[in-house]
Amino acid sequence: MTALTVLYDPTCGLCRRAHGWLAQEGKLVELVFVPCKSEEARRRFPQLDHDLTAKDLTVVGDQGEVYLGPKAWLMVLWALSQYREWSYRLASPELLPTARRVVSLISQHRFQIGRVAGMSR
Amino acid sequence: MPPKEGYDEHRNHNLPALPGDKIALTVWVGRTLFKNGRVFLVDVFHGNELLADSVNHLLVVGFYLINFGYVSLALKLGYDVVSAREGIEALSVKVGMVLLVLGGMHFFNLLVFSRMRRRASLVNGPPPVKPDGYTRVQEA
Repeated sequence: MTALTVLYDPTCGLCRRAHGWLAQEGKLVELVFVPCKSEEARRRFPQLDHDLTAKDLTVVGDQGEVYLGPKAWLMVLWALSQYREWSYRLASPELLPTARRVVSLISQHRFQIGRVAGMSR
Repeated sequence: MPPKEGYDEHRNHNLPALPGDKIALTVWVGRTLFKNGRVFLVDVFHGNELLADSVNHLLVVGFYLINFGYVSLALKLGYDVVSAREGIEALSVKVGMVLLVLGGMHFFNLLVFSRMRRRASLVNGPPPVKPDGYTRVQEA
């Protein structure tokens, strides 16, 4: 795998902040950022359920592998040279349930978190 | 009042042994690290022997600098040695400190090497999780 397409939500401040952070990190795998439900996203992945991608972070590999929510976050970590070790650690059976809970909690409340942290547009 | 004859003799007895011992110890540990660390570094740098040798050499230089610096600073005893027993004890304390510093640095080196090695081995690692599904990708 040489590239991952990240379908992110451009309407949420937290997501845009995360996007900015990811853009400047060193990468082992190229990350392509495409706003979810955009023309570009629909053109690239015509068969994908695009309403689903707006609910949770979605990452698509260059062979069409689809990763949703917590798995998508792990794949993003895996792409970063500084955090690949953490992606394996968090994907272990002991930590994966916790990682899932934390990610879905953040994802559900992403607009509130963004507002509290002053990241809303 | 001038000191007695035997007093001076005792005091000077152990002094040359102090730096000599430590230099020998430092050189021995340094050479051990240099010899046995090489294989490790070659692996870390994916078989790039030139780079491994260069890093190995730089590490050993830093190691010598820190140790000789420490020995120079720790050489001062602060009191006069009047008996053979005191001399041996003083020597033992100083050598012990140097050994602990060397041991600490040795394990720190090992830690750094193993971290570098692990990170290098991760570069070709597979994805951490299985995909949730597959979709068709439209080429750009």
